Amino acid sequence: MAWLHTWSGLLLGWLLLAMFVTGTSAYFREEISLWMAPELHHSQPSPDTPALAWAALNARAPDAKRWDIHLPEARSPVAELRWQPDTPATEEGGRRRGERAVMDAGTGELLEPRASRGGDFLYRFHFELHGVPRLWARWLVCVATMFMLVAIISGVITHKKIFKDFFTFRPGKGQRSWLDSHNATAVLALPFHFMITYSGLLIFMVMLMPWGMNAAYEDGWRGFFQDVFPREEAPAEGGAAATMVDIAPLVARTRATFDQPVRRISVDWPNRDNAVIRVSTDKAPHITDQRRGGNPTLVFNGGNGELLETRPGDAAVPRAFRVYNLLVNLHLARFADPTVRWLFFLFGVGGTAMVATGMLLWVSKRTQQLRGKAPGFSLRLVNGLNMASLTGLFAAMAAYFAANRILPVELAARESWEIRVFFLTWLLALGHALLRPDRRGWIEQLATISVLWAALPVVNMTTTDSHLFSAAGWRHGALAGFDLVCLMLAGAWGYALWRVARKAPVPARKPGARPARRAAPARAAEDGA
Amino acid sequence: MTVITVTLPLTLAYAGLTALALAMKRHHEAALGAKPPPARLRAFRIGGWVLIALMVASCLRLWPTGLALSMALGLITLAGLPLVFLLPYRPRLMVWLAPILPVLAVIATLILT
Amino acid sequence: MFTSLFQRLAVSPAIGVASRTLAAVFGGYALAACATTALALWLPAAPATAVITANLLSFLIYTLAVLWAFATRSAVRAWVGVLAPALLLAALAGLGGAGNPF
Repeated sequence: MAWLHTWSGLLLGWLLLAMFVTGTSAYFREEISLWMAPELHHSQPSPDTPALAWAALNARAPDAKRWDIHLPEARSPVAELRWQPDTPATEEGGRRRGERAVMDAGTGELLEPRASRGGDFLYRFHFELHGVPRLWARWLVCVATMFMLVAIISGVITHKKIFKDFFTFRPGKGQRSWLDSHNATAVLALPFHFMITYSGLLIFMVMLMPWGMNAAYEDGWRGFFQDVFPREEAPAEGGAAATMVDIAPLVARTRATFDQPVRRISVDWPNRDNAVIRVSTDKAPHITDQRRGGNPTLVFNGGNGELLETRPGDAAVPRAFRVYNLLVNLHLARFADPTVRWLFFLFGVGGTAMVATGMLLWVSKRTQQLRGKAPGFSLRLVNGLNMASLTGLFAAMAAYFAANRILPVELAARESWEIRVFFLTWLLALGHALLRPDRRGWIEQLATISVLWAALPVVNMTTTDSHLFSAAGWRHGALAGFDLVCLMLAGAWGYALWRVARKAPVPARKPGARPARRAAPARAAEDGA
Repeated sequence: MTVITVTLPLTLAYAGLTALALAMKRHHEAALGAKPPPARLRAFRIGGWVLIALMVASCLRLWPTGLALSMALGLITLAGLPLVFLLPYRPRLMVWLAPILPVLAVIATLILT
Repeated sequence: MFTSLFQRLAVSPAIGVASRTLAAVFGGYALAACATTALALWLPAAPATAVITANLLSFLIYTLAVLWAFATRSAVRAWVGVLAPALLLAALAGLGGAGNPF
């Protein structure tokens, strides 16, 4: 069983590390995306925003098939306008191609943020990697998740003194300390780790375990989803052209009816005589709610503003669904207010620390067993890969963010270039790690990322006007928060560097053996709001 | 939910976990001195579990059931982290914080909410 | 001579591990899939509820199967312990009306 734990953890540990780091950053993906789009930083929501959005869409896409407006909210200060042009054959295997624009919520001006995947790149990397065919990537990620689930459970079974050693941490004792760190981050946060792993599998359950659905429903998962989320179909044809009412009174009425801020407006067949307007608000968040839909909504006739339907929100959810929703919502940290979001972020950091300490422990243990002899190929390989997937990944992320500021805005294929910078940096780090998989290599990489992450706020300051020393940077928590987290990370790496460099390299043959670091979970913290 | 709201369950969890840690001979000796009588260890263990139960109850009062249980698990974890690091470095501080923190949390909650 | 080679392979630890791994990965998945299907069809609830309950349990079943495959005394027991319940559940599923799952 200990064997199972070690190997199920090690073999895919590097992938799991990358998943944890990107997943943790994804808790703040909207904030990261905002930081990476400085053109949007001056947007400030106002009561006129719905009317401005209405006017903008009327100007830009008056005869679209469908409009969708997402009004500003705490995590995003701009209005997002989406529409589907009225062209035939817009469906492509269930995904409709639409168009979108971003609008300044205060002035109504359509903004052109620099082309960037923003925080979504990291979020998608978390479960789809990049550059790999989508299905293969998701399967690989799910296989890694299964490995982790097996590692967790076998870890609990293996750890015979799990309760006796619950609080044990013995710093400064080399391998023993790594083991204690691994135990501490793993055991203390066991509920979180189990939840995040199991819920990760549940999120992909249609791909992984469709057999139940296939058996119980004629058309498999489609039948299942139609049963659970009956979709209302919009009328297939637009009517004759007609004028539509103003949106402002409808927004006010919806807000008054549900006593919640209006979040979303969608219109089927705008500017036609069969236009239908749906105005939805936030819903009081319940952690067992469905992911999509169920928001309190008022449905209006587009031509005369007459109220057609009132939907107060979700009906009672069956118990089994509540469990599913709970787990999935926990994984995604949905309905999390800022405090809870930071808590989840911390847990993600803890998870990263758990995987990292496990991998470093493996190296430390084998190194100790060598008793001063030179390390063999597999040990150097594991050490090098550890470095690449930890410090290397963070170097790549810093480069990605820096590229967002440094690459010219008009550069063609800018999005791809930012991503290329990410991977090129990672590749460089991998190369370096494999060439120098020892203490010197760790020192060099730690030094590099300390500098890189500390440089990010400086780069921000020289390329935009929303930084730590400007008013704009503090107007929206995400912006200053991002820079501050960069500085904290740089500090953490600097501290780690100091600890590694401080330990006298008496046996030059003790590669990769680092003294125990304090506060391992506070390490590897990510950017955020 | 503000930061203030979570301080009470969080500090109760810390106090409970500290008590449970002190119920173990090894940690008790490290923090409070040698040779604890078994009765005292048992008292710490019972006290620790009572505090944890109180903490879960406070979560259930603050949030709906599903969320409350999740938050309880999460906060216990969080409370354990400083404990694990204080124990080897500053065991006496760890012990003193156990009664002080919940009291501060109660005061903060009463004043600021 | 041929027999002894076969016998040597049969008791070699590497083969044992490989065999258990196959039992765990593929046999375990088969067991979980059969269990999911059987549960989805036989649980006394609305179809959607039955399906989701089955899915909620499926990964736990898979993990337990993996643990069994490695914890049990021999590779043979690993396979039997995984495939026998799988076949049973498949039969149950068939009785419940499952056709060809693909």
